[in-house]
Amino acid sequence: MIGKVLANVLRFMLLVLVQALVLDHLDLANGWLVPYLYVLFLLMLPFDLPDWAQLVVGFFAGMVMDLFSSTPGMHTSACVLMAFLRIWMLRLLRPRDGYDHTRSPTIADMGIAWWTTFAAVLVFVHHLWLFFVEIYRFDELGATLLRASLSAVFTLALCMLVQTLFTRVSRSR
Amino acid sequence: MRDLFRFLFRIRISLLFLLLMGISLGLLVNGNEHQKAQAISSSNAVVGQIYAWRSGLVEYAGLREENLRLAKEIADLRDRDARSRITVADSVREVRDTVMHQQYRFITARVINSTVSKARNYLTLDKGSLAGLHADMGIVGANGIVGVIREVSPHFALAISVLSNDLPTSVQLRNTKHFGLLRWDTMDPATASMSDVAKHVPVQIGDTVVTRGSDKIFPIGIMVGVVSNVENDPGSNYHTITVKLSEDLTQSGYVHVVENMLKLEQDTLQAKAPPEE
Repeated sequence: MIGKVLANVLRFMLLVLVQALVLDHLDLANGWLVPYLYVLFLLMLPFDLPDWAQLVVGFFAGMVMDLFSSTPGMHTSACVLMAFLRIWMLRLLRPRDGYDHTRSPTIADMGIAWWTTFAAVLVFVHHLWLFFVEIYRFDELGATLLRASLSAVFTLALCMLVQTLFTRVSRSR
Repeated sequence: MRDLFRFLFRIRISLLFLLLMGISLGLLVNGNEHQKAQAISSSNAVVGQIYAWRSGLVEYAGLREENLRLAKEIADLRDRDARSRITVADSVREVRDTVMHQQYRFITARVINSTVSKARNYLTLDKGSLAGLHADMGIVGANGIVGVIREVSPHFALAISVLSNDLPTSVQLRNTKHFGLLRWDTMDPATASMSDVAKHVPVQIGDTVVTRGSDKIFPIGIMVGVVSNVENDPGSNYHTITVKLSEDLTQSGYVHVVENMLKLEQDTLQAKAPPEE
């Protein structure tokens, strides 16, 4: 239990630092590809985390990102929305015999099909919200939509890469 | 009553979601106000320190270019130095300068964090109120304008970059003195657009764009960029001008913060103008 909490706190700190110190400074394809890898932290929260805790963790994770990028409310709202949807996605994708709490929502543990469905929806909604809030208007609808979609795909690819490099199959039972 | 509580308990997750969403939307909407942004901005101590460490590391990679730029700037200053000039008129001996009061003071600072790929870009400087920085001071680089300070903490300052759509800077064409507003709606960190220049004004590609000085933030005539494209939109009375920015905002290094020492005096005088009805 303590190990699980510690692992998540460490993962959060690492991802936020990588996001703020490296990824936020990339200027890829003229701003068309803006990866927000830190969402991997929210994706990888343990299965047995209560619903209310998911929302609260999302809120504070977004707040820390906002501190780093001087954008009050932007990441916070996107993360709260994502955390709320995560609760529903987990319910929707629940295996017949429920989740095995010794496993975690990763590709290695849950398989590529399950994970991609789970992550793609959440990352896409998170990015869409973030990019529209960032630009604060609807008049460049097409461009913002494209920017969010391209960036979401890029973020997903990065998440997969990081997972294949750094996570192992959880020892079950 | 019990049913009501049971109902509320059943939708508690949605209620918590609405509460947290409400708080974050509140931050989002009020976040642009001075006070609230101050509490949550990268000029706060912990985040500022982390960014300072980062730029301390990254800085080494750009030392060669930085030196080159400084050397160029020194050469430029030497050109203007009194010692590199000769006296032409011997009869003028005494120079008691009562005409040229110093209006602008420049404070050197280092950019420790900046972005160029967001819709609104910010920079963090390594100096704050203790070094005499305050909000609404302009920032100029070696080649042109960079941004304007929004918030300061004792040791850091948060500035909004020229690469931001809500920072219209008042600029003018150096040749014809026609003025307009510089806006960043190109989404390209190398260019911006200049609006409000009427069709009758002759604008050519290659014309120099400088600051107008009317905003009391930048002195008159600071380099902004060169006109790189003029489009003739038949439906508009104004030119659509694209300006190639002379300062490379994708590089960060040392900048100068401009203090207008006569701003208060000018504000006081302008406040005496009768208000518009």
